[in-house]
Amino acid sequence: MAFTLRSVKVAPNSASLEEARSRVFDFFRAACRSLPKVMEIYNLDDVAKISHLRSTIANEIRKNSHITNPKVIDMLLFKGMEELNNIVEHAKQRHHIIGQYVVGQRGLVQDLGTKDQGMSNFLKNFYNTNYF
Amino acid sequence: MASTVLKSAMKSIREKGFVTFLRELKEEGYLRCLPDGNLLQTKIHNIGAKLVGVDKFGNKYYENLNNQYGRHRWVEYAEKSRYNASQVPPEWHGWLQYITEHTGDELLMLKPKRYGLEHKQNFSGEGDAYIYHSKGHALNPGQRNWTRYQPWQPTKTE
Amino acid sequence: MGLVGILASRATRPTSKLLNSHNPKHFNLNLFLRTILTKPELQSPESSAAAASQSDPAPPPPRTPVAGARIHFPNPADAIEVFVDGYPVKIPKGMTVLQACEVAGVDIPRFCYHSRLSIAGNCRMCLVEVEKSPKPVASCAMPALPGMKIKTDTPIAKKAREGVMEFLLMNHPLDCPICDQGGECDLQDQSMAFGSDRGRFTEMKRSVVDKNLGPLVKTVMTRCIQCTRCVRFATEVAGVQDLGMLGRGSGEEIGTYVEKLMTSELSGNVIDICPVGALTSKPFAFKARNWELKGTESIDVTDAVGSNIRIDSRGPEVMRIVPRLNEDINEEWISDKTRFCYDGLKRQRLNDPMIRGADGRFKAVSWRVALAVVAEVAHQVKPEEIVGIAGKLSDAEAMMALKDLLNRMGSNNVWCEGNGINPNADLRSGYIMNTGIAGLEKADVFLLVGTQPRVEAALVNARIRKAVREAHAKVGYIGSPTDFNYDYQHLGLGPETLLEIAEGRHPFCKTISNAKNPVIIVGAGLFERNDNNAIFSTVEAIAKNGNVIRSDWNGYNILLLNAAQAAALDLGLVPESSKSIESAKFVYLMGADDVNLDSIPNDAFVVYQGHHGDRGVYRANVILPASAFSEKEGTYENTEGCTQQTVPAVPTVGDARDDWKIIRALSEVAGLRLPYDTLGAIHSRIRTVAPNLVHMDEKEPATFGPSIKPDVTEKMSLTPFKAAIENFYMTDSITRASKIMAQCSAMLLKK
Repeated sequence: MAFTLRSVKVAPNSASLEEARSRVFDFFRAACRSLPKVMEIYNLDDVAKISHLRSTIANEIRKNSHITNPKVIDMLLFKGMEELNNIVEHAKQRHHIIGQYVVGQRGLVQDLGTKDQGMSNFLKNFYNTNYF
Repeated sequence: MASTVLKSAMKSIREKGFVTFLRELKEEGYLRCLPDGNLLQTKIHNIGAKLVGVDKFGNKYYENLNNQYGRHRWVEYAEKSRYNASQVPPEWHGWLQYITEHTGDELLMLKPKRYGLEHKQNFSGEGDAYIYHSKGHALNPGQRNWTRYQPWQPTKTE
Repeated sequence: MGLVGILASRATRPTSKLLNSHNPKHFNLNLFLRTILTKPELQSPESSAAAASQSDPAPPPPRTPVAGARIHFPNPADAIEVFVDGYPVKIPKGMTVLQACEVAGVDIPRFCYHSRLSIAGNCRMCLVEVEKSPKPVASCAMPALPGMKIKTDTPIAKKAREGVMEFLLMNHPLDCPICDQGGECDLQDQSMAFGSDRGRFTEMKRSVVDKNLGPLVKTVMTRCIQCTRCVRFATEVAGVQDLGMLGRGSGEEIGTYVEKLMTSELSGNVIDICPVGALTSKPFAFKARNWELKGTESIDVTDAVGSNIRIDSRGPEVMRIVPRLNEDINEEWISDKTRFCYDGLKRQRLNDPMIRGADGRFKAVSWRVALAVVAEVAHQVKPEEIVGIAGKLSDAEAMMALKDLLNRMGSNNVWCEGNGINPNADLRSGYIMNTGIAGLEKADVFLLVGTQPRVEAALVNARIRKAVREAHAKVGYIGSPTDFNYDYQHLGLGPETLLEIAEGRHPFCKTISNAKNPVIIVGAGLFERNDNNAIFSTVEAIAKNGNVIRSDWNGYNILLLNAAQAAALDLGLVPESSKSIESAKFVYLMGADDVNLDSIPNDAFVVYQGHHGDRGVYRANVILPASAFSEKEGTYENTEGCTQQTVPAVPTVGDARDDWKIIRALSEVAGLRLPYDTLGAIHSRIRTVAPNLVHMDEKEPATFGPSIKPDVTEKMSLTPFKAAIENFYMTDSITRASKIMAQCSAMLLKK
């Protein structure tokens, strides 16, 4: 255990949006620092790169970028920290990580960013699976 | 006691020479005594104890009947740095654990030749090769292939 | 008390009423009838008296016929009435007692009797009691007589079955746990239902040496109960005289007289008809238990017969294929190719879209990339340089989509392999089997023109053989010398003989014109010849002269080779120009492996969409993986014009997609979006083109005969007819990938 994250505990509420924002960046940094260890313990070298996982984390954070209520941000941060701790403590298995963060919920995570506008539902489904 | 130790040391230096003495000092594990207190303790116990036997791995079995009953038999492992109890072969196990009065050498004579696997220490936790991974584990080198079809392999043509 | 109680409780025998009075004389007599099986109520007088008091109940309602047994009265005057367990049943004259019982809804246990084989009557399991008969009769061999009173549920019948079962089990090994038939074994089931709970046999069981019947049928002859079903099947249906009965008494055994493999293309059916585990499937041996399998009722696509099959799968794997009953197509047989091709579905599969790089190597890519590349190339070529070829296993939906896509691209050069370059798709009667497969049984003269049904469609051949055997039909054959499993007259090698018959110079003309129901079968191998129109018009001339096409009988038939052919012609997959492939720049092969790949120009861009890495793949630039027939819902039309549907039994492998979905997706990427998103939508598109393809399980006869066809002026070339299929076991990409089929062709086709 070369590296342990600080234990998950409920932090005092953020006073302002700025403070919440800086906590988000702190969280992102903590997550990025733990990535080498995550790569090692889940043996992810053949399926993902660190940069890939990093962009996945950034995507997960950006999904909630519209939230302005510091309390909600604190809550989400807590959940994120909890998840990160679970991952670093090897509380998950390799296929959990691959399923949730490498492949993602809807196909490959990297495909989410590409332009799917103007594409019919048929084609969108077609790229994902044969069964629709 | 210290003088006897010193005296015997001087004697062996005289007999074998300083370099040989130093090499034996190292091989016998006296140098490991500095970081490893257990070994030092064993070495100190060995003084004045009777060497009952040596097994085929080189573990030495001592007995000192002046000690408290139940503490009068012990082993000095051949392996000085990574020793563990599973290095004791089965024939000596009984003697060492006060199960029998017969030493390992005596028991070995009773053992039919055709039986028995060579004794192997327990390698648990000693590197990937000795760790059991279930059939689906990512680290299992002989991971079972669950694919129920054989894909076409593209080979270069033309 | 013994049997008295049970007799009284049944109250089926009038005499048993007498036994209700405690007559000591009867009591003693009945001790001899004591069964092995004892029940408490048979022992204690009180309980049997209670049972006796419940006697004479209201008769149970009449039962429905067993397995939908149908009665067909050829002559209503011949109907006779028999009584089965007290119920009157009307049956035609000549039916056996067992059949009468089936009509009455009583299932008689049997081992040797099989409705499609001759009657042997040697297992004795079907014993029933007939009134006024001194001993139980074997119902399978006994013709029903008017007024016969058959009793199937009496103690005598039960005891007879129990005794027979005990004898059968005497020499039958107790190896059900290691037997492949376990769970679907007639002997297991019937010994549970009719056998005793103990045997009295203490001696040694006999053992029999196993026979080697080839790579398909595994034999464990010790399990054999000498029902001789396999012997009768081989001689009667398969037409090979390989199997026989040797020895007498306890030395009796089934075997090949000399060390010989079973060289029949229907040999796998002996696995199904064997009531015990003596003959089992060799490739399936110890692979699965039948209760683990999920059955999917589908159809077969390895030939144009469209046999009805059940695909048994476990998880993602097809474990075996067994036949399904369809009286009009395959009765209950399937060919060995159908039955054992399934391991081809698991080998050499294409599982990822691939693109050939500049170095000639294939690289797996995503569907996005693959479709984008194909669409881009398709835009760069001229419309008339686009060619699409459907393979022999393509379903109607995919062929419809392919034709629509190519038409949208501006090309009309789309066809199905095996149909030749100028097929006759206008008149449906010119490419289907007008008589129907079942109709062939009524024929009395066959003229086979350039077709070898034994290898092209083994089940059609079985029908012809049935006609030859039962109605003594005559068979004339024109084509390269071959081996039929019935008597035939080899008339000639090729077009000269055909011309002689057409002009009335040949003695066989007389046979045709004298026949009541003559049948002409033309092989679809002739489609590939350049003079096919001339040949077909000559055959039509023969049909006209021989009065083959009448209002009540159409004996003019084409025997197709592939599952896709009929539907392709229905959908109008006909190339616009016959030379299109030589000038093609963009070739879309939809599972087409048997087209002449060398004639595709070197600079052409070839897309191969299919499920197996077969011949076509090696010429392809892009590979699009598709699903095989066991993995998709597809419409197929068989050679007699009957539309049937496959049902997905297992998931597709890897990243493969259904054929029509690939084309639909490609059309959108190429900016020519096809207007259907679902299978239902594509069916309604098919309905506008060929309505018969959406009427499932219906045989749609052709409306117009060949008489309205324009005259053909071209001349026949005199090259003899070639065999259309060289190797029965390996005809398409699935069977070519199959190891079992490779073994078969190595061992059984060895000359």
